[in-house]
Amino acid sequence: MKRKTKFRTCIGILLFSYLVLALSGTGHAKDVSRKPRAGNPAKHSFPALGISAERKVQVAWNRFYDHVGLGAILARLHKAFPDLTKLYSIGKSSQGRDIWCLEITARNIGDPDRKPGMYIDGNIHGNEVQTGETVAYTAWYLCHQYGRLEKVTALLNDRVFYLLPTINPDGRDSWLHRGGFARSGLEPTDNDRDGLADEDDCEDLNGDGFITMMRKKDPQGRFKLHPDYPEYLMVRARADETGEYSRLGWEGIDNDGDGRINEDSRGGYDMNRNWAYDWQPNYIQYGAKDYPFSQPETRAVAEFLLAHTNIAAAQSYHNSGGMILRSPGREGGEMKSQDDRVLRLIAERGEKTLPFYRSMIIWKDLYTALGSELDWLYGGRGILSFTNELWTSKNLYKTPSSPSDEEQAEFIEYVLMGDGIIPWQEYDHPTYGRIEIGGRKKEWGRVPPSFLLEEELHRNMAFTLYHADMMPLLKISQVKIEKLTKDLFKIWVTIENQRLIPTRTAQDVAHHISSPDIVSIQGDDLQVLSSGQVTNRFFKRVQAVKRRPERVELDTINGMGAVRVQFVVEGKGKFTVTVDSAKGGSLKKSQLLP
Amino acid sequence: MSLSVFRCGVRPFRFLLMHISLITMAVTVAPATEYHNNKSLGKNLKFLAKQRSDLVRVDSIARSIDKRKVWMAEVGKGTEQDRKTRPAMLVVAGIEGNDLIGCSVAVSWIKHLIEQYETDTRITTLLEMTTIYVIPRLNPDAAEYFFSRPKFETSSSDKPVDNDHDGLIDEDGPEDLNGDGLITWMRIEDQEGEYILDPTDNRLLIKADPLKSEVGAWRYLTEGIDNDHDELWNEDGPGGVNFNRNFPYNFEFFAPDAGVHQVSEAETRALADFIVEQPNIGIVLTYGAADNLLKTPKGAPSPGRRKPMTAINKDDLGYYRTMGALYRKSLGLSKELEGTSYPGTFSDWMYFHRGRLSLAAKPWDPAIAVELSKTDEKKKKMTQDEIKEDIEKIEAASENEQAEDKKEKSSECELEKGNKDIDTDSKDDVDKRNEKERREIKWFDKYAPQAFVKWQTIEHPDFPNQRVEVGGYCPFALTNAPIGMIEQIAAKHADFLTALALRLPRIGIRNVENRHLGQSVYEVKIQVENTGFLPTSLTHGQTTREVYPTRLIIELDDEFFLSGTRITNLPVIRGSGGMVQARYIIRASRREKIHFKVVSMLAGQVKGTIEPSDAK
Repeated sequence: MKRKTKFRTCIGILLFSYLVLALSGTGHAKDVSRKPRAGNPAKHSFPALGISAERKVQVAWNRFYDHVGLGAILARLHKAFPDLTKLYSIGKSSQGRDIWCLEITARNIGDPDRKPGMYIDGNIHGNEVQTGETVAYTAWYLCHQYGRLEKVTALLNDRVFYLLPTINPDGRDSWLHRGGFARSGLEPTDNDRDGLADEDDCEDLNGDGFITMMRKKDPQGRFKLHPDYPEYLMVRARADETGEYSRLGWEGIDNDGDGRINEDSRGGYDMNRNWAYDWQPNYIQYGAKDYPFSQPETRAVAEFLLAHTNIAAAQSYHNSGGMILRSPGREGGEMKSQDDRVLRLIAERGEKTLPFYRSMIIWKDLYTALGSELDWLYGGRGILSFTNELWTSKNLYKTPSSPSDEEQAEFIEYVLMGDGIIPWQEYDHPTYGRIEIGGRKKEWGRVPPSFLLEEELHRNMAFTLYHADMMPLLKISQVKIEKLTKDLFKIWVTIENQRLIPTRTAQDVAHHISSPDIVSIQGDDLQVLSSGQVTNRFFKRVQAVKRRPERVELDTINGMGAVRVQFVVEGKGKFTVTVDSAKGGSLKKSQLLP
Repeated sequence: MSLSVFRCGVRPFRFLLMHISLITMAVTVAPATEYHNNKSLGKNLKFLAKQRSDLVRVDSIARSIDKRKVWMAEVGKGTEQDRKTRPAMLVVAGIEGNDLIGCSVAVSWIKHLIEQYETDTRITTLLEMTTIYVIPRLNPDAAEYFFSRPKFETSSSDKPVDNDHDGLIDEDGPEDLNGDGLITWMRIEDQEGEYILDPTDNRLLIKADPLKSEVGAWRYLTEGIDNDHDELWNEDGPGGVNFNRNFPYNFEFFAPDAGVHQVSEAETRALADFIVEQPNIGIVLTYGAADNLLKTPKGAPSPGRRKPMTAINKDDLGYYRTMGALYRKSLGLSKELEGTSYPGTFSDWMYFHRGRLSLAAKPWDPAIAVELSKTDEKKKKMTQDEIKEDIEKIEAASENEQAEDKKEKSSECELEKGNKDIDTDSKDDVDKRNEKERREIKWFDKYAPQAFVKWQTIEHPDFPNQRVEVGGYCPFALTNAPIGMIEQIAAKHADFLTALALRLPRIGIRNVENRHLGQSVYEVKIQVENTGFLPTSLTHGQTTREVYPTRLIIELDDEFFLSGTRITNLPVIRGSGGMVQARYIIRASRREKIHFKVVSMLAGQVKGTIEPSDAK
């Protein structure tokens, strides 16, 4: 009762103040000389949830940046956060652009090279641009939230992030600056087998700054304008109906005079088919190129990954379709059931974090892809990895099913106010005669519009940070000493993995990809008589090592699990137990013998 | 320190020494009477290039892990543009690092070619119309162990690899325990051993067969100690990657010597890039452990587009069979020997992924030597006429192989029967298990007794109070011919290599016909032929799409064509006089010469002219 009256009073006060304000406003309406001060609105802004008020590096996340632009974001972050970041190039693209990597971790805590590493790249397909912003956003977010949010602080204290916004900078710039075919890298490639490379690309014939599509009014054409959305859509004429238009493909001419148009565009391969595991040549898998890692970009990434044996998880962003993809890329391809289970569990979180995204297996739920980055990361290196296919048209109207072509046309008309389409213009083509050029802008379809972009970046990052958080986190939780006789001790060391991903995946263990985890003991007055892994902690069963008792090799430390190692030692004084795990880090714990 | 003092003292003489060596080199270059280390190999090649700069060019395509140069020699007359577009053959040797004989054979072929140029017309024509690429030693680091002390045989590179997956790298290599400068073998009398001594020759060991109630009595290991105390001997020595397991076709991930992924090494990558940059290479010959010449490989029908092949396309098999017969004939072998390929070989990549005729063989091995010595002995007993007859028989046999191949299934059944025969034999106490090894050791006893080191008892720290013997075959003895035989072997290979290069495809223009149809309209027929032996593309070259179609390009604007197009892709033209015809209807003025060219990826390029005339 009391609360109700209070509520009423509140409403009353609010209404009253509104009236006063409204009246005072009209009262001074004629005083045009009075305006608010054109100060800096940022100084008077309040953060919405998600990002701190203090922004050392200002970046607008509702647009796309070319290679130089992304580089500038990384460089500014590096300058603003020198204690968190390291910025370097891992190699150069075909055209000589640097492939930048921003390494982020709390550099003053622990050895950055020994922390479990999360590798994140984007944009291996040049046209899939928002992936670059997703990685750059992650860098920006982690830097700004360190020390502010406990979760981010812990992530950077315990883990290291390798962030590569674009591993195909040539393709990226080619798409942003030119458009047309730009999935490929830009090494000249002879796609039409005539001894010449890249000699017949598409071009901006009418000079409107866009490479769009060509069509021709044609009594034999099989297409006609959509009756309701003639500016936006063409539809196939019924089988028994005359059409109005022929579709002529991308804007371009027959540059090399071989009777074909745009058949040998720049580049012309698929860098996500150039990875070593399950690689097959071009005639079996289109885009594979001459041999695995033949391209400077894929080679640089492969060498980087091989050199950083601490990398325990990876994400390679693509667009589009709203998918959280995992290996294998072909039926019968490599995937151990234990590893699949962990990936599935992580992806379940992703399905919640990313509305309308689905957890999928590449070959089964999408298509067969041989020689993909994901398959090499898992099959070849035993690293648990995902590819997120960013953006789904379901996000246009936030509906569980994809909007129809007509609904999409309406979105362009009523939400984008027509942005997204280039009106058809007439043009005289050297081969086709009078044609029309126009249609969808390259930004329509696979990348989100400006006001949905930031959401896409944050949600994908949030999922990948969860993925990173699931990397092995080791702790020497107990060192139990049991005195057997004078100077003879049995030491039990318990090592816990406090996260979901094992130190070495089943694939890793099966093929000895990384070094085994090694638990060792040292002391000045210590002699190790025997050691081994405890196979049953209750019945105290121990599998003794054959030789070299000062070190015990472990296959793996399972996710949310623990291993115990027994050392039987003779001696006295201080001893140190070391856990050396390629992907779980390096730990030490010292204790005194009683 | 002492070295620099030594060098100072010697310096005044070095100039003189160099002169002497140059003079001797001018007389005899690249003697095929010994094996050469990489420096000497480079020197020999550069000398050949200097001697005949019009014919030979030498370049380094890569640096090995130990910074040695990987040499490439290009042989052929003409401008760079000519050489790049002519039919070409590539010879690769030393891809398995322990192969030195292949390198010697390849280099001495180059020497033979330049010596015979302008003497032997076949070779003159060959060098004027063909480009020959030789990469004589892809793995110089492993070959260098031939000259090191201790001498140590490995086919792999010096790339550090944790072979035993214990987190330590290259921590347990071999040791020369008896101080003879050789890493050989050791056998330890031990109940845990899996071997027994060969009852007919106790220098050899056989794996004990529990089914024959044999109890193992010897361990058989490479010479060395267990440096890392893991009860494994020499399991993680220096290196490495075997380059001939590092190529993309049938690559075996995680195999110990395959490399971390396909084409992972600087040396293999340089070779792969070289191949991509030289699309005119139509025949590849790789010397090494893999083989498809001593024994004809299996063929199979194409599994369909977009499916990996697992055997040579049956339509291409005839070329392999023919080349195999040629190889064996050149060496003097009268029958097929054992031979097989391995995962990830360079030669398989070149056929299965790149669509080239890609041949592979051991240049020499004890089995070949044993077989040849048999033939030699037989010949000694034969008269001249009989030898001729015998050669004819060999030729007939190789022709018959084709027919035999068709009966493959039935012969396989026979083989199974054969195996059963062996089983029955063994019941009769004829143990055939070590037969091949016994024959070979007899050959070595007769021709190269120094190849086998007598077993010698030593003290071994890992086996106290146990009988330990060091001995067995010398490093490199089973893979490389004794030095005295190199020259003779090289001569046989030179014949084969020349014969092979002469079998490249080669396009020509057989005829240009034109018929006046009235006014300015002409019908033109151009006949393009292949005067070589191989087709312009193997069937698998078409399947892989790596061999591009032969193009006929007429230098005439589109508007003058009434039928036909400026650029015509021609179908495959088979060798030995195969021909295709292209037909056009064009508009042209009389006496106007129209130029055209035919461009083939593997069979060269030719130019021609159309001269429209009123003659009908």
